[in-house]
Amino acid sequence: MKSALVVAAAALAFCCAEARVGRAQTLTGTVSSSAEGAMEGVLVSAQKAGSPITVTVVSDDRGRFHFPDGRLSAGHYALRIRAIGYDLDGPQAVDLGAGLTDIAIRLRPTADLAAQLTNTEWFISMPGTPQDKRPLIECMSCHTFERIVRSTYDADRLFPVLKRMATYANNTTAARVQMRLAEREVHDEAVRKLAAYLATVNLSRGPTWPYALQTLPRPQGRATHVVITEYVLPRKTIAPHDVRTDAEGRVWYSNFVENFLGELDPKTGANTDYPIPVLKPQSPTGTLDLEADADGNLWLALMFQAGVAKFDMKTKTFRLYPVQAALDNDATQQSMVMPRSWRVDGKVWSNEVAKQSIMRLDLKTGQYELIDPFKLLPKGHQHSPYGMAADGENNLYFMDFADENVGRIDAKTGAATIYPTPTPKSRPRRTMLDGQGRLWFTEFAADKLGMFDIKTESFKEWDVPTPHTYPYDIFMDKNGELWSGGMASDRVLRFDPRSGRSVEYLLPRPTNIRRVFVDNSTTPVTFWAGNNHGAEILRLEPLD
Amino acid sequence: MTPDRLWLCVAIVAASLAVPSLSRAGGVGFTDDEVNNADDGPSYFGFVREVDGPGVADAKVTAALKDQGALVTRTDIMGVYKIPGFGKEINPDDVIISCAKDGYTQDSVVRRPREAGDTKDPVEVECYLKRK
Repeated sequence: MKSALVVAAAALAFCCAEARVGRAQTLTGTVSSSAEGAMEGVLVSAQKAGSPITVTVVSDDRGRFHFPDGRLSAGHYALRIRAIGYDLDGPQAVDLGAGLTDIAIRLRPTADLAAQLTNTEWFISMPGTPQDKRPLIECMSCHTFERIVRSTYDADRLFPVLKRMATYANNTTAARVQMRLAEREVHDEAVRKLAAYLATVNLSRGPTWPYALQTLPRPQGRATHVVITEYVLPRKTIAPHDVRTDAEGRVWYSNFVENFLGELDPKTGANTDYPIPVLKPQSPTGTLDLEADADGNLWLALMFQAGVAKFDMKTKTFRLYPVQAALDNDATQQSMVMPRSWRVDGKVWSNEVAKQSIMRLDLKTGQYELIDPFKLLPKGHQHSPYGMAADGENNLYFMDFADENVGRIDAKTGAATIYPTPTPKSRPRRTMLDGQGRLWFTEFAADKLGMFDIKTESFKEWDVPTPHTYPYDIFMDKNGELWSGGMASDRVLRFDPRSGRSVEYLLPRPTNIRRVFVDNSTTPVTFWAGNNHGAEILRLEPLD
Repeated sequence: MTPDRLWLCVAIVAASLAVPSLSRAGGVGFTDDEVNNADDGPSYFGFVREVDGPGVADAKVTAALKDQGALVTRTDIMGVYKIPGFGKEINPDDVIISCAKDGYTQDSVVRRPREAGDTKDPVEVECYLKRK
């Protein structure tokens, strides 16, 4: 018996070794520079010729990196790196065969540090008061700060540029500008003030910036234990906004500027577009919020197309719910949809950005009801119902993105309860409700993560570790850890609210993150997001 | 002035000094700091405390208009709360202040007298809890 076991164990070991050899096209190596020697925290990316998939790993404290077995097949790979202050000296590419390939990557100091700064690093570098910088948090919605700081325009020449940008729809990217049909009220005095400030931080007064460029440190320790996969989408105009996976592991995303629902096969990188019928041909196209209902079907908020859409996952067809004519105009905009508990009462929640109000869709009649949750509050204050969640009775919880409130609408009575956040002017943005009745949300303008307990009606807040991060969204995973991302720092934040311990994973390229999603079916969990300005989907796999 | 009222005054003055600098920071678009306060009704403030006892921290305070809606906040470590208030068209006398905390029941609510027709000055309301 004992000898039989030994033989079986030996056979198993042999088979395992064979299996490793069979799939191994592993790439390993070192990263170094003459200034630092072996370098920790350098992102090394490999993209196979002709493939939309790029895989990135990070060098450890000995400067070593290792692509996991099975991630790279044989072929020719372009290499790139990300390490603030450095460029890739060589090699620029590598050919992988059947076995292990080990390379030595050399870095040289960059000649253009400004091209490598994140929005967060520009925020930190720029002189000025917090009040001066505050309006710039809006700029990131459409472009990075590099466009601003490299401008040579003075305040007078910037003024009409800013005025013109105010005519663009918020679902605008550099790759696809969309005009608003309805004019937005913009106060010249505020625009002049902003133009005057921008002229102090750009190149209008000389060939170099009149301040030192500040950079954040490279990743260290746990922040290097990660594999990041980028899926480049087939058109530069695709602007993935909300990303989520389904039960079969397929990846779905809303396209912020084109009227498609996107599907990505994470194994091959193949992309499928599902065209959404255009309701208002003259209005900007594109969708924002992508949510799943309890049946697993997907719902989209149609932005300026005015309404919401349901995507049947079995038939792969849309059913549209346009806003009725009495409530529709050129400014009508639905950025959010919340179908999670529609089976309770046949109602789906949405918002009307133009009227700073909530909308509720009756699925039987197709009619929307307009609910102003702020009708009792003083006029003259800006509000904007944004991120939404529904509890088991289809009561709505929403974020007041223009102000500082979490709101609740009672599904039965329609009565609104407003809960000001402990931090004033926090501008809560996106949210999720976990199984314990905790509403997790980001305080975009306050650089905080927040939690509102819907049972005790109480708040908790945590500062994000890096200032000027401006977190957009948040996700509580199965392990009780929070994941967050945004438009400023090119980093994904992993935060444990119990211990306060955090990790920030640097991403391989400038990344404008909106909705974040965590796939809890894997161990460790898998983080997903879109690069809204980069036409790519990101998968981030922590190794612990 | 009693020590409690002295503390309350200090807290309100401190809050008043803090709010302008914070409220200048934030908002939407190019006009983010523009807030028109002309339509603001009075705010509501005061202590939540145990009957004949200290202030109660982290108590829930609700300012409600019956069947219409509510503003909800919590007391600070001293038991002080401040609720920004409703629009000026809301009669402060119609606003019901209540307080709650686990382990307590509400005992009484005392509203400081105000001048008739005063629609701007903050409304001071104390809310008393007793242990269950």
